[in-house]
Amino acid sequence: MNNLSGMKRSSLFLLLFSFLAPLFCAHAAESLNAKKILDKVDDLFRGNSSKGVMTMKIVTVHWTRTLKVEWWSEGKDKSLMRILSPKKEKGTATLRVGNDIWNYLPKVNRIIKLPSSMMSASWMGSHFTNDDLVKESRMADDYTFELTSEGAGKNPKVLEVTCYPKPDAAVVWGKILVVVRAVDYLPVKILYYDEDRKLVRIMHFSHIGPLGNRVLPKVMRIVPEDKPNEMTEITYEAMTFDLPLPARTFSLRSLRQ
Amino acid sequence: MITVAAISLNVAILIAAYGLMDGMMKHLVANVTNLVAGEVQIHAPKYLVDRSMYKTIQDPMEILARLKRRGIEGAARSYGYGLVACGNKSAGALFWGVDPAREKEAFDLADHVASGQYLETAPQKEIVIGRKLARSLHAKVGSEVVIVVQAADGSLGNDLYTVRGILKAAGDQIDRNGAFMHRQDFQELFVSGGRIHEIALNTRGTVPLPALKGIAAAASPHADVKSWRQLMPALSDMVNFFDAGMWLFGMIFFLAAALGVMNTMLMSTFERIREFGILKAIGTSPWRILGDVAAESYLLSLLSTIIGGIIGVGLSLYLRDKGLDTSLFIPKDAAVSVSGIAFDPVWRATISLKTIFSPIIMMWFISVIASLYPAAIAARLEPVKAMTRV
Repeated sequence: MNNLSGMKRSSLFLLLFSFLAPLFCAHAAESLNAKKILDKVDDLFRGNSSKGVMTMKIVTVHWTRTLKVEWWSEGKDKSLMRILSPKKEKGTATLRVGNDIWNYLPKVNRIIKLPSSMMSASWMGSHFTNDDLVKESRMADDYTFELTSEGAGKNPKVLEVTCYPKPDAAVVWGKILVVVRAVDYLPVKILYYDEDRKLVRIMHFSHIGPLGNRVLPKVMRIVPEDKPNEMTEITYEAMTFDLPLPARTFSLRSLRQ
Repeated sequence: MITVAAISLNVAILIAAYGLMDGMMKHLVANVTNLVAGEVQIHAPKYLVDRSMYKTIQDPMEILARLKRRGIEGAARSYGYGLVACGNKSAGALFWGVDPAREKEAFDLADHVASGQYLETAPQKEIVIGRKLARSLHAKVGSEVVIVVQAADGSLGNDLYTVRGILKAAGDQIDRNGAFMHRQDFQELFVSGGRIHEIALNTRGTVPLPALKGIAAAASPHADVKSWRQLMPALSDMVNFFDAGMWLFGMIFFLAAALGVMNTMLMSTFERIREFGILKAIGTSPWRILGDVAAESYLLSLLSTIIGGIIGVGLSLYLRDKGLDTSLFIPKDAAVSVSGIAFDPVWRATISLKTIFSPIIMMWFISVIASLYPAAIAARLEPVKAMTRV
């Protein structure tokens, strides 16, 4: 159902949360460093509220396109996203509140609600699924973690944390491997494995620099393991954290504007 | 006489029953293939594996033209997934980009509309949807719906459409997520150019399946040609199962008939046991007696199968033309459907060489075989014992 993907443009910011949330695994018995690393990665893009502009480049074997998107978010479950370019989609907006997602389509001037059956569909033709956007950090308790060195090898500049789901945890991934820079714990890449411990996708982080009032990787690239010629790359162009947002920001009325 | 009557009746019943069963299967298959699936479908190689929008048939119009020249009707279709929303309801759908004129010519779906109408020949931004999809969207004829899809170039295709018609039951797939639109509308929505994903051919049984497949394969050298038997293995299995059932059913009848013939011939052999004794006494060879008894039953079964054949064909003709009105046995409101395909309550027989001659030949053959045992008894008689009996 790849083509249902256009339905949803939830906040990329929340998207990030959802990806990093599982890594926030507060397990007291584990090494302090591993916990610090996961905390750092998890809190990277987290704030009470945020807004920003990003470009998303999607490369598939059949087409390549770049979207410019403006977003606002508040807490874990409210976000609004509006496409600035290309022209065909300009003004198309997505509002997410909790598990509900609405889309505004300027061409026909209508708002439609995304049915729950579309949650597993690909998002905007990218390599993220709609589900990726909605999941919240409740998976935080679902993984056990430890400092390892399997993927990173003996490179002293990076550290590696491996997460396994707890036996009774209802999670998608069978294993997650986080590689960070040893100096500042900023993420280099995250590898996602399925239940059979087979690599599914890799998320790469690069272009570390100032963003808002923080130092963050500005470029995130996701590459599906089964389609190495395809990828989705997100570049953050501007970002502001902890700003006051009026309550009406996340309403159906503001979706139309 | 009783034997003649019994064998005749057996043959007549078998012919009529074969005709009815064959008729039911043909009707079932025709219902499915004539509705929208067609007898043979052409796709790009491996299209059916993932139904990717990018696996398209090369030169589809040329293929259609070639087939038309051979007198075969067909329709080209484009497929794409997307979202359809009506009011605050929305659902996923499989969109069919069709050429309404061709569809009406080759298939019955256009007449299979529960409310509203099928698509116009010209594109009007209208859709015809499956009944379960309509129900889940709370859509009625005339409802405005928003359609959102991911177009072939990756962009977001969206537009307003009007529901023109809601289909009757047409199989679960179509009922649940089928949405039909004019191919030109489809091309605009999906930015799909002339992408064609399927060519469905339908001759309504006038061209035998293997021949049709051969013609289709010759007309579309770079594509994958499949018959309904390959496309719908469940239906194909059902037909095969029915055929096997028909044979089993026939075998039981044949067995009963064989026992009847054997009984009659045994009786008549014992009745004439003295005559056989005399024949043996005057030097008739056992083979001659065997031959005589076998010839007698041969004539008996010939007569019976001819009578039975005439009655059976008459019965089949009646059942073909008038049919059995099964609606007498079914509650009025109950929809008669098999795997979602609506059924004509009048059950009609078909008549073919197979349904007539297989019972006649089998019955005749069985009768002759069954007479061999009494004949052998007669042939092996001891003349003195036979003559002194009774």
